[in-house]
Amino acid sequence: MQKDYKSIIDQTLKNKKSDYKEIRIEESVSTRINYNGKTRENVSINSHFGGSTRAMCNGGWGFTSFNEIQQAPAKMSESIELANYNKNPVFNIHSNSPKKITLAAEVKKDPISIPLSEKVSLLDHYKDLILKDKKIQGCEIVYGDIERKVIFADSEGNEIEQNFIHVILRIAANSSDGNDLLQSGFSIGSLGDYTIVENLDDKVIECANKSISLIKAPKITGQETTVVLDQILAGVFVHEAFGHLSEADNVYENKRLQDILKLGEKFGNSDLNITDGAKIPNLRGSYEYDDEGTPSSITPLIRDGILVGRLHSKETASKMSEKPTGNARAISYAYPPIVRMTNTIIENSSNTKEDIIKDTKDGLYVKNWYGGMTEHEMFTFSSAETYKIENGEIKETLRPVKLSGNLFTTLKNINGIANDLEINQGGGCGKGGQMPLPVSNGSPHIRINNCLVSSG
Amino acid sequence: MEKLEKLLNNSFEQHEIYEQENEYKSISFESNKLKEISIKQSKGFAVRAIRNSGLTFSSSSNYDFEKFNNNFIQLSEFPTKTSINFPGKKVESKNKVKIFSKEEFNIDNKYFINKLSENIKKVLKKFPDALCDAEFDLGLGKSSLSNSNGLSIQSEESGVSFFISAQTINGNDMLNIYNYASSVKNIDDQVIESLTSKLIENLSIAQNIKKAPPKGCPVIFTPHGLYQTILSPLLVSFNGTNLSKNLSRLYKKENEKIFDKKISITDNPFIDYSTSSRNYDAEGITSQINTLIKRGRFISGIFDLKTSSEYNCQSTGSAERSIHSNTFPSTSNLIMDNGETSFDEMVKQIDEGILVDHLLGSGQGNELSGDFSANISLGYKIEKGQIVGRVKNTMISGNSFNALSKVDDITSEIETVYGSLKLPFLQTSNVEISS
Repeated sequence: MQKDYKSIIDQTLKNKKSDYKEIRIEESVSTRINYNGKTRENVSINSHFGGSTRAMCNGGWGFTSFNEIQQAPAKMSESIELANYNKNPVFNIHSNSPKKITLAAEVKKDPISIPLSEKVSLLDHYKDLILKDKKIQGCEIVYGDIERKVIFADSEGNEIEQNFIHVILRIAANSSDGNDLLQSGFSIGSLGDYTIVENLDDKVIECANKSISLIKAPKITGQETTVVLDQILAGVFVHEAFGHLSEADNVYENKRLQDILKLGEKFGNSDLNITDGAKIPNLRGSYEYDDEGTPSSITPLIRDGILVGRLHSKETASKMSEKPTGNARAISYAYPPIVRMTNTIIENSSNTKEDIIKDTKDGLYVKNWYGGMTEHEMFTFSSAETYKIENGEIKETLRPVKLSGNLFTTLKNINGIANDLEINQGGGCGKGGQMPLPVSNGSPHIRINNCLVSSG
Repeated sequence: MEKLEKLLNNSFEQHEIYEQENEYKSISFESNKLKEISIKQSKGFAVRAIRNSGLTFSSSSNYDFEKFNNNFIQLSEFPTKTSINFPGKKVESKNKVKIFSKEEFNIDNKYFINKLSENIKKVLKKFPDALCDAEFDLGLGKSSLSNSNGLSIQSEESGVSFFISAQTINGNDMLNIYNYASSVKNIDDQVIESLTSKLIENLSIAQNIKKAPPKGCPVIFTPHGLYQTILSPLLVSFNGTNLSKNLSRLYKKENEKIFDKKISITDNPFIDYSTSSRNYDAEGITSQINTLIKRGRFISGIFDLKTSSEYNCQSTGSAERSIHSNTFPSTSNLIMDNGETSFDEMVKQIDEGILVDHLLGSGQGNELSGDFSANISLGYKIEKGQIVGRVKNTMISGNSFNALSKVDDITSEIETVYGSLKLPFLQTSNVEISS
């Protein structure tokens, strides 16, 4: 850790008494390259630098964030003052054996070391590939990489410096039938590996072709039907349909919800296994310590259809008398950590994708994603590609659809899980105004009966 | 900063420096209890510079100018093509709108804590098992914009918002309803009281779960539901970013009748104390009232300097920016003209229908086409002219252009949504309900 930070941290943490206090300092530099329509619209480098302090008094929190790091000791006093307005029952912060550690970023091919000219020329090439077909109206390309150094220290004795490098790319092609504008796209990402954005010519051409194929594709009418989800969309499904309700900050103050989400209750069929874990290596949701200094873990959430775990911060774990799982995350120094998913996965079962499709008389094969949202037990997520399934065969292309459901019925309606797990790292998660947080989702192909679907 | 100005003066034909300093305070209750008070300060600067018809942009909250300058020089090799000229000396508008009130930041935290606590107690009196989240957010901002063509604008802005939500659980049915208001100055007690009363009233009606109405039934949108479902995807097509790229269904269709003649929408930046009001846009262009739709005719999109130059029109004074983003066109206060029917009369005329208030998953499809599709997270059943309960597991889908091409009716009442939208209730049948 840099010397000047060390003395500021020491000063800040001994500043005043409170039940618990912590400081974060963050430096980051991000590069973004955007294309819209037929042209490159923006190449920018943005630098961020700042810190935050958080204190707990009387069972509640005070938080301050700032850009001038020298102010940290004074800001800690302010956080303590703000926390003292609380009058809640005091709880004990779970203490792990403190660590003083510096962790380098996971890097395979470092995107930061690639010259800007090389990045721009690769993306210019993808843009040209998309626009080659005259039926394409325009493209949307968003490339981003970020190098982040986060220093965390707390009154428990932790001093942890972690470094991260992320790279993301979204490519979409727009076509038009003269009236409607149709879009097909894909999103990818990695922890420190620039190779994922290279050699994508085939995928880019396929994306443009898919956009064109949507021009003549019909829309479905709203209905309840059987859907087979590919690995990417099933990953979004598990994130939205189950993942958010497994975040303990939804549950820890809510006795009724605790009764519903009781560990040991059956939520799915016996081949349903769901896991979340930042300890799973080399994914965008991977890290060694969360933003409260808790070591990361791999948390089984559903085993054989039974609810067995949930995701915790120090506060939620303490209040529910469960173990912290290392899921307290903040998108930057400017926000306090809250309970978040990391890498969330439906595990493989024994079927093949082919078996599942063959066994589906009438339904939809839905692939790829636009987005998803959750509000308590209700969720929606949208496909980027949709195909009709008739008598066990994938048939005509349809316009994208939106799928919606209720956690309690939909998980039980999963009646086919394949053995072809893949992980999507192209997404980000939003919660409490903090987005897009790097996460990954994964799943094999799955089939859901009686899913409510409408044209998206 | 001197080093930066030297670089910009020596190497570029035009440049612009934008600086921003903000402070936000948030007092938040979670599950009926005070959870956290936070104060967030942020400051930073952004630079745009032009040479040879190419624009370079970069921003930083790290005041290390040597690093910044090196990055800027590197970025200037990959400029964005543009033919804009930054404006010269500022032009005073005839309208002067009030966008700042500092006093709120001097109010003791206890005032806000008590106000939130009082309102939560009101909900709990009627629904003792409810769990309420509530929050006051206060923001204070200072910005300065100067450019090499002689423009210099300093601006101060403020904002206050109040939010309250309540969750009830019956069996496996979870219901969450929220209300929200925002202003440039402190929010009147009357407004807060009426938001809490409305929340209690809606919670009461929503306890009763009803079967969704059949396809083809009449659909009324509340002002909030109207924005979330129909206007939000529609506005994508009015945005200069998409118009200038021929990615909008409205491309070069000015003065064509596209919508029902009952529809008129104006973008008005001159409403005192509204959070989206502005005297100048983020590029220093004097704000103006923009008519988007007049009696069903498409009149104008909204543009900043870059998109207007690409669309061969004038900027509509609609540039918006955050410290780390380039400018982009954005609406100010959006106002839809009201009709003559009262909301009660509109409901009375419906035998079986639905009132759509909140959606889950809107804005997550292909908005360029105007398509929408979402789960109705809060929608009410109308039976024999009365609102009788809530519908669940129901989706709504359609297309904004189609939905507004034939509108059954618009109410005389207008409500404020998200602090800056003034919208009526609207009835249309050109949408699909499925459950």
